[in-house]
Amino acid sequence: MSEVRDIEIKTRELGVTFQDNAGRDVTALTGVNLEIYKGEFITLLGPSGCGKTTLLRSIADLQKPTTGDVHIQGMTPKEVRLQQKFGFVFQQPVLFDWRTVKKNVELPMEIMGYSKGERSDRADEMLEMVGLKDFANHYPNQLSGGMQQRANIARAFGLDPDILLMDEPFSALDEFTKEKLHEDLLRIWRATNKTILFVTHNIQEGVFLSDRVCVLSPHPGRLSAIVDIDIERPRTLEVKESSYFNELVTKVRNSFEGGSV
Amino acid sequence: MKEKFEVLTNKKWFSSLLWILLLIIAWEVGAFVVANTKRIPENVLPHLYQIIIAGFSTDKVTGDMTATQAVLSSAAQTLLRGFLGFVLGAAIGFVFALVMKMSGVLEKVLFPYLMLIQLIPVLGLAPIVLAITGDINVSRVIIAAILSFYPVATNTLAGFKSVEKEKYDLMFICAAKPHVIYTKVLIPAALPYFFTGLKIAAPMAVTASILVDTLQGDGGLGCLLSQSLKHAMSIYVFWLIVFFSAFVGILVGKVIGWIEYGVSPWKRRA
Ligand SMILES: Nc1ncnc2c1ncn2[C@@H]1O[C@H](COP(=O)(O)OP(=O)(O)OP(=O)(O)O)[C@@H](O)[C@H]1O
Ligand SMILES: [Mg+2]
Repeated sequence: MSEVRDIEIKTRELGVTFQDNAGRDVTALTGVNLEIYKGEFITLLGPSGCGKTTLLRSIADLQKPTTGDVHIQGMTPKEVRLQQKFGFVFQQPVLFDWRTVKKNVELPMEIMGYSKGERSDRADEMLEMVGLKDFANHYPNQLSGGMQQRANIARAFGLDPDILLMDEPFSALDEFTKEKLHEDLLRIWRATNKTILFVTHNIQEGVFLSDRVCVLSPHPGRLSAIVDIDIERPRTLEVKESSYFNELVTKVRNSFEGGSV
Repeated sequence: MKEKFEVLTNKKWFSSLLWILLLIIAWEVGAFVVANTKRIPENVLPHLYQIIIAGFSTDKVTGDMTATQAVLSSAAQTLLRGFLGFVLGAAIGFVFALVMKMSGVLEKVLFPYLMLIQLIPVLGLAPIVLAITGDINVSRVIIAAILSFYPVATNTLAGFKSVEKEKYDLMFICAAKPHVIYTKVLIPAALPYFFTGLKIAAPMAVTASILVDTLQGDGGLGCLLSQSLKHAMSIYVFWLIVFFSAFVGILVGKVIGWIEYGVSPWKRRA
């Protein structure tokens, strides 16, 4: 990690303040300074309500910062969004009832003007990856919650975006599917050189996947530590048994301010 | 025994049968009561068998038509006007919903007027519309349209509003153009609501066209209906019309249901 790397995303003194129903200010995020390199796999880790989703949304232009700003490849989030460079996996699966699973995966590609054949091929490929090949022609209401979330993930991947923002994509999945998707995610990431921002509150997951784990703390939401995960890649599931892995997990756990997760 | 009964009550045909049976009993009780209290030549609430006989009777009720012929020939005019009004109203209702969705200002301006039009009774509306259009047939179509329009517009608008924030967020991330959001998200999402509007509007269009007939004369089911009620014609004609309109109402509801089923495959659960 000694070579000079391009910074892809840079936040400067980023802060977001919401108003609650009583009109009081809720500081969801304050003073976040973060530099993310191109092709890096970053995890945002922290307890519920510490502003992980808010940070992701600010980067994706879904949330206007109250203070500070975000720069991506020297552009504003809006410019990057208009160039259709973001992929976003929402915390809840956002599926369209009237479209089959495959047509759901194809939707963003339709919007971005992919040809019919390309759409279909890519959708098949993505569904194969998340293990939904046999359910391509089912409707979302015929799927279990975990299957819906996998369709959601397949859709974000189908676009082949430069920057993939994933908000707790795997938290609704069973352990087996999760581990398989971890490996798939790392494989695709290596093959495509995407920048990935991954939100989770599972420390092991964050350590296993990432180059760096950003630890956020609540009240007010802030970036309290960044832990380098210098485990060699490619990583296999055995890595989780190693003592170094567990050392890093402990290190991340100890870096939370205001108690453990 | 109890279990068997439960199995039976779960069957659709059984509940329909039970429902019809109860209706017949209530009807016949009513017919007997009315027959004993009123002393007019024709009972206003005849027995069901009398109505059925009247339906198949070959006696002429008007110049050269039997009761059934008279009903069916007037029905053609009335239903055609009702249908035209319904289609027109549904189309305008959909467009209004779309316009109100696109512009919050227009929604605030238009919505109170729509409710106001809806509040004017048909009896008051009919002469006004007739005075404006000057043509009795056109005015009837328009009244059917006005009545169909409101449930379609409000339901469709509710459908547009049912789209969750997350779906907009997804479209936003994809940098989708507004027309794409309409065609790919909003309109498909509103479709079931639109059909609900149609199901409410259709019987209203039929009822409205019959009602307007009674006011303005000049042929149609309503005309026949009022003649029959005034004893200018057999009272059975009145009841034939009532049953006929009820049948048409149910049929139209079913047809709309089939169309909806046809265009929304995701509702057919595996
Ligand atoms: N639209 C909003 N309006 C008002 N307050 C909000 C809004 N969105 C988030 N908040 C508040 O901001 C804080 C951070 O929310 P955020 O959704 O970013 O947390 P999170 O870290 O993603 O939590 P979780 O792990 O539960 O998803 C919370 O206190 C929340 O109540
Ligand atoms: Mg969140």
